Amino acid sequence: MDPSPHSGVRHVIGAAVLGVTVVLWLLSFAGAAGAATHKGSPPKVEKQVIPPPHPFYDQFNSGTANSSKRIFGKNGQLLVYGDTDVMYYLPQVLVKDKTPVALWSLGEQLYAQNCEACHGVDEDGVPPAGTPAVIYPNLVGLGPATYDFWIESGRMPAASTPQTQPMRRPARLNQLQALAISDFLNTKSPQCPFCYAASPLIPNVQDLATANLSDGAALFALNCAACHTITGDGDALAYSTFAPSLRDVPATQVAEALRTGPGDMPVFTGNLTDAQLRDVVAYVTEKIEHPQNPGGLGLGGIGPVAEGFIGLALGVGLLALVGFWIGDRS
Amino acid sequence: MSDHPTEHGPSRTPVPMPTSASWSDPHMQPAARHPAFVERLIGFTFVVGLLSFCAFGAAYWQNWAPWALGLTLGAGMLFVGTGITAWGKYLMPRGPFVEERHVLQSSTQDVEAFTNALVERGATPVKRRKVLGGILGAGMGVFGIVLAFPLLRSLGPLPKNTLATTDWKAGSYLVDQSGNRISQYAYAVGSILTVFPEGWEDQDRGQAVDQTILVHLEAEGPIKGMPAGRSTWTPAGYVAYSKICTHAGCPVGLFERELGLLICPCHQSMFKLAEGAIPIFGPAPRPLPQLPLSIDADGYLYASAGYDQPVGPGYWERP
Repeated sequence: MDPSPHSGVRHVIGAAVLGVTVVLWLLSFAGAAGAATHKGSPPKVEKQVIPPPHPFYDQFNSGTANSSKRIFGKNGQLLVYGDTDVMYYLPQVLVKDKTPVALWSLGEQLYAQNCEACHGVDEDGVPPAGTPAVIYPNLVGLGPATYDFWIESGRMPAASTPQTQPMRRPARLNQLQALAISDFLNTKSPQCPFCYAASPLIPNVQDLATANLSDGAALFALNCAACHTITGDGDALAYSTFAPSLRDVPATQVAEALRTGPGDMPVFTGNLTDAQLRDVVAYVTEKIEHPQNPGGLGLGGIGPVAEGFIGLALGVGLLALVGFWIGDRS
Repeated sequence: MSDHPTEHGPSRTPVPMPTSASWSDPHMQPAARHPAFVERLIGFTFVVGLLSFCAFGAAYWQNWAPWALGLTLGAGMLFVGTGITAWGKYLMPRGPFVEERHVLQSSTQDVEAFTNALVERGATPVKRRKVLGGILGAGMGVFGIVLAFPLLRSLGPLPKNTLATTDWKAGSYLVDQSGNRISQYAYAVGSILTVFPEGWEDQDRGQAVDQTILVHLEAEGPIKGMPAGRSTWTPAGYVAYSKICTHAGCPVGLFERELGLLICPCHQSMFKLAEGAIPIFGPAPRPLPQLPLSIDADGYLYASAGYDQPVGPGYWERP
């Protein structure tokens, strides 16, 4: 390389830029450390007044605090509810290696880093001044299952540009981080027993292997296939929204979606008992996600258009070639 | 036809035909004159076809996967068929062939004899044609009458008001497809359910005409923004509409919770739930008829009246 007369000046500038970058990088760590030692602590949970289970709890409010099994914490907080088919947990119960206070602090820090720019410092969907004026959802009172579903399915934190409907992608935050944010946001909700109908705790489907797949298939055809199609591949809906594919959704997220109704999806609390929920989850995770394709080739499962195209292009074309060969006078 | 065959000898002489194709036959293909390779190739396809059929038998016997059945049977037919076609195409003499034959024109005697016979028996064939014609006419007449049956059948009995009414009456309890009544406390906001009038959930007419879509739209009722005169129809935030599309009668089963829309899967008609199901997109000409709801002392939903208009697509004389 031919040395230039200004190479010395260039080296000095390059070193300065490098130095400033390193200092800024180190400062960013210091900032993160400062956030990690935030002095915030979870608000004190007031004693909840939760009525005894309704006599018909197995028909009534299945998937809500009106369940046969309920476990309360020392301060009277409802930690776990459910029955033999599905149990619903507070995030802090699912995390074994962190104290509730540490989990809450981690959630507060992660919220500030990942969510606050859009959903606001009060979690109510009002972003800080200076950010684009787009309507962001109010997060208060949605329940841990909702928060966990959106984060663990990779839909949140959203891509930089607002989308009509966020799409499933590899999760940016791991499960512990998702549970931490869920725990933090849940303490912002007013405590009321039957709020759980619309804002359930995180469902954990028990004994998936013993579910009734036949009932699950019937319930899927009745409740899910209208939008997601009978093969579970999803379809377009109104105003650029769509029912997403169900091909790679973990069991917990299927249950969370059924109980919380993310986006335009209806809520299936009341419509499906916990036993029926387990049947549907088993059908989705076993049959929809592992289709058998008795014909040999699924063609994406998108219906008669793909099948007709293959039939015309390959089948009829091949038959025409054979016909030419047989009828040809050599 | 002819009583004296020997008199027409010259026209009946068989044309001599070659008894077998010879190697020098000009119609033979090059492949047929030097058949070793082609024979082996065709033999190979037959063997593959044979093995495929054997494999199909084994697959059927052993209950293998459906694709194995299809693959082996298809391969067998394909290879055997290809072999047969190739055999006929490459190993056989190919045309065009010219076949010699006798003169087609009848002799003068034949023509005269036939004319005489026709004149002698002239009366009988005419009678026979009348009988045949009569039978044919009767058959066609019956056919025509039978064709008119659907037309005649559609003249009655009159449908009267069966198109205009459903089985929903004042006081009909809402039940799901299993016959369970609907409690206002059991369904979370954002739920959707297909309901029937109690007692009709397992009847064909109930399933067809009475199917109604129940949505828990808001936490508390009545819902604001409903059309005039319907302020009390939506207690506790529940709202119910006929599930039969007013365009072509499809089940309007797609509920978009955040948009507050019902969508028909057939032609994408969209109905706004909170405003009396007015159609905002698509070919549906009218809102879905709304069922007025009430709640009894125990919290169960029932219809405070039937539908105030015919459900489903339009028809002549629709009031």
